[in-house]
Amino acid sequence: MTDPIRDEWYPVALVSQLGPEGRDTRLLGEPVRVAWQDGAIIVTSGGHTLPSQQRYGHVWACPGTPARPLFDIPEADQPGRRLVDVGLVRVKCSPLRAVENFLDIAHFPFVHTDILGAEPHTEVGKYDVAIREEVDEVWATKVHFYQPQAAKSAAGGITTEYMYRVPAPTVSILYKTCPPRPGEWDVITLFVQPLDEELCEVWPWMALFDDDTPMTDLIHFQQTIFLQDRSILENQLPHRLPLDPGMEIPTRADLTSIAYRRWLKRRGYTYGAQLVAA
Amino acid sequence: MQAERFIIRGDLAAPTFLPWVARHLHRLGLHGQTRRESDACVELLVQGPPDLIDAMEMGVSLGPIEAWVETIERFRINGLPDG
Amino acid sequence: MPDWTPVALLRDLPPLVVMPVTVDGVDLALWRSASGRIAAWADRCPHRGMRLSHGFVRGEALSCIYHGWSYAQSGQCQRIPAHPDLEPPEAIRVPVHHATEAGGVIWVALDTVTTAPPALAGVQPLRSVTLDARFDPASAGLTESGGAWRGTLGGVAVAVLVQPLPDNRCALHVLAESKASPTDLVAASRGIETLRRQAEGVSA
Repeated sequence: MTDPIRDEWYPVALVSQLGPEGRDTRLLGEPVRVAWQDGAIIVTSGGHTLPSQQRYGHVWACPGTPARPLFDIPEADQPGRRLVDVGLVRVKCSPLRAVENFLDIAHFPFVHTDILGAEPHTEVGKYDVAIREEVDEVWATKVHFYQPQAAKSAAGGITTEYMYRVPAPTVSILYKTCPPRPGEWDVITLFVQPLDEELCEVWPWMALFDDDTPMTDLIHFQQTIFLQDRSILENQLPHRLPLDPGMEIPTRADLTSIAYRRWLKRRGYTYGAQLVAA
Repeated sequence: MQAERFIIRGDLAAPTFLPWVARHLHRLGLHGQTRRESDACVELLVQGPPDLIDAMEMGVSLGPIEAWVETIERFRINGLPDG
Repeated sequence: MPDWTPVALLRDLPPLVVMPVTVDGVDLALWRSASGRIAAWADRCPHRGMRLSHGFVRGEALSCIYHGWSYAQSGQCQRIPAHPDLEPPEAIRVPVHHATEAGGVIWVALDTVTTAPPALAGVQPLRSVTLDARFDPASAGLTESGGAWRGTLGGVAVAVLVQPLPDNRCALHVLAESKASPTDLVAASRGIETLRRQAEGVSA
């Protein structure tokens, strides 16, 4: 019997920022060490070496036996994109809540005011959500929202189109309209490292078409957004993500959140989840 | 105001499922009736504003932890039956 | 259990402000509308559980900071910005508790009340302070009278209201005699600090 939680891949470090001293951290409540050894990076826990790999700027580890390969982001290898290691933000919340918030657009006018949204442009139009069975991923498509400043490279307000993808329980990938390159999508990801059920470290990472904006500005923009999200995430009740919405009132604007929770429920992924409404 | 018939399918044998649906109707201020067809199928008749009927579908599609809702089919109807 | 719990001095809650308070271990969002009305609500948005004490007040309504759902004085939801054409049903509402102002103090009652909060005559609001300790008024030389603990701090006659908080903490809402001069108030304020240090030192 495999544990669906232990058999996933999780980010544990940023390759570019892993110094010779290594990194002592936690994963699913257990101490983990990420360290250089003979020019390679290894991840150990409790005296065992964990399966690990380096991809999308990060070190990924699996505490159990990998159920499937690490998800694919084909855009990561596309020529012309800048790959941005944003770094980590620690958040006192369930790792699942961090992902759910990333999938939400209705909060833009209130939490990211005048950046990702602004009143009176608050309406959430209909969009499509599906679980793509062949890859076992959640996808939300045809998501449209008005944004005063969609990205560092956006000069004024535009209606931005988004796609959201959940390829692993603690990972979300956002594809959004790329102003300088019509027809392409900017890729912004949220890789979440579950330290325990109510504490996580969030590693945003980006693959953008933007040759002009200084790297520090790109990083600061994303960090600003995420610090605004953190004030939400640390103040939601209950602390764990409800898989029973009996104490909540989800509406159609919450369709992606509901699809994500359904997907977690069906997969038995309950680490950081609240099973009974409370 | 509109009325709809939901055909809810899945693993719905849990005795908590119908009361959960009734409670969620109440939370949304909707009028409705539930009827169990089988362990795998429940019919819900619901009346109210379209956005709230959408919200009812959102809530029920996740439902209580003991149940698994696989699909919800929605059909327009003329109104709720009396009683 | 007394009907009413003191939660703040009125002047610390100006119009258009919302703050978190705790009564009998229950987290509440205490807020004041543009016209000055005071309300104490469950600190949890019915939509997705965000604390309403992080929200914002516009006019006579409190809105959740997460998705902007706004609630009228009755607690009833009046607007869901993601669905602007929807008139929210009466069923969507935040649980509302009793809140009132008396003598410059805001009082909250979780349940039905049978009495009015104590009317404290001859005093003016001084300040509120949170103690990271329990507080024993008797050992601080205070005696109970007329719904408050009376005594002197820094040589000034004061009335002290105690609000128990979780984790062995508490808040003191202190009022000073009306005739106290500005110099007296500074002295009384220092007295409160001494009191706090003593209370926290004893339990450390």
